[in-house]
Amino acid sequence: MSTTSCEQFDWKAYALGEVNPAERKAAETHAKSCAACHEELASLRVTLDAMATLRDEEMPRRIAFVSDKVFEPRWYQRLWSPTFAGAMVLAAAILVHGFVRPSGASSIDQAQIDAAVAKAVAQSEAKHQEQMDEVVAAYDFLQKQFLRGYVQTTGLQRQ
Amino acid sequence: MIFREVEDRDLIAKARKGDVEAYNLLVSRWDKRVFNYLLRLVRNREDALDVSQDVFLKAYQNLPKLDDAAKFSGWLFRIAHNEAFSLLRRRKPNGELDREPVAGGVEGRLLPLELSLAVESALKLLSDDQRDAVLLKVYQGFKFDEMAEILDCPVSTVKSRLYTALDVLKTALAPSVFKEGL
Repeated sequence: MSTTSCEQFDWKAYALGEVNPAERKAAETHAKSCAACHEELASLRVTLDAMATLRDEEMPRRIAFVSDKVFEPRWYQRLWSPTFAGAMVLAAAILVHGFVRPSGASSIDQAQIDAAVAKAVAQSEAKHQEQMDEVVAAYDFLQKQFLRGYVQTTGLQRQ
Repeated sequence: MIFREVEDRDLIAKARKGDVEAYNLLVSRWDKRVFNYLLRLVRNREDALDVSQDVFLKAYQNLPKLDDAAKFSGWLFRIAHNEAFSLLRRRKPNGELDREPVAGGVEGRLLPLELSLAVESALKLLSDDQRDAVLLKVYQGFKFDEMAEILDCPVSTVKSRLYTALDVLKTALAPSVFKEGL
């Protein structure tokens, strides 16, 4: 190992598979006739063979997949999601509106609503009464028609 | 191998469109390689596992930025390299990366260890940069130009680190190799 190989050949590149086919052939031809290069190449091969004995270890545990729960956002991270944040802004807006609304507006609005409801109920009742009157009138008419027909066919007359 | 590459490309395309299951499959194909690379680089099982987790999460988040799906492995190992060195720097706040003494090694005090243990010991003799280069080349099979991209340095730097590391390993492993009769 004390000898020096010829500098024109990159034996490490050769041993590591980094030379093209032409360079490989030239190097192999040279190594057959040069003791120093032959020794250098042999020692590199032995070293790399020794290194190849080191085997890969098995994983102690598998890598967590992106779909695993560990990658799900935490509760505070969810706050930044557009949907949740939008809903929160809307809720906050409703809440703020409820608090900052003028106090007088509440009674005025309620009175207007009550008046509107009373008016609607009165209209509905009036319409309902009108319909009932029409039904009663129609019933009376039919009854009178029936009796008139009955008298004519039987010759009887109500006492 | 070519068929596998095409499959990976297909999975990457699906994952980019939001197919989480496709990405999960991609993870299960690469996690062992990434973990072992990190394990030998950071030399701590829990750290290697934690960093592996970070690597795959970052890879998922940055998948849309991957220009060429065929370069996925180099891109993934670049993330792994960056994460590992970030951890190594945190371990050494002064920014000085590990530079263990090269001279001496296991030579002259050969212990009755198995060859693989001797290799593990020999790897510890390397600096972080040298070990990184050896891991990417010898154990992950990347080409010099791919390593230059992963390590973000010129090919000449890659070769320099690797060649120096090989000299160290050659010297350190010689007694073990001869004892094991290789």
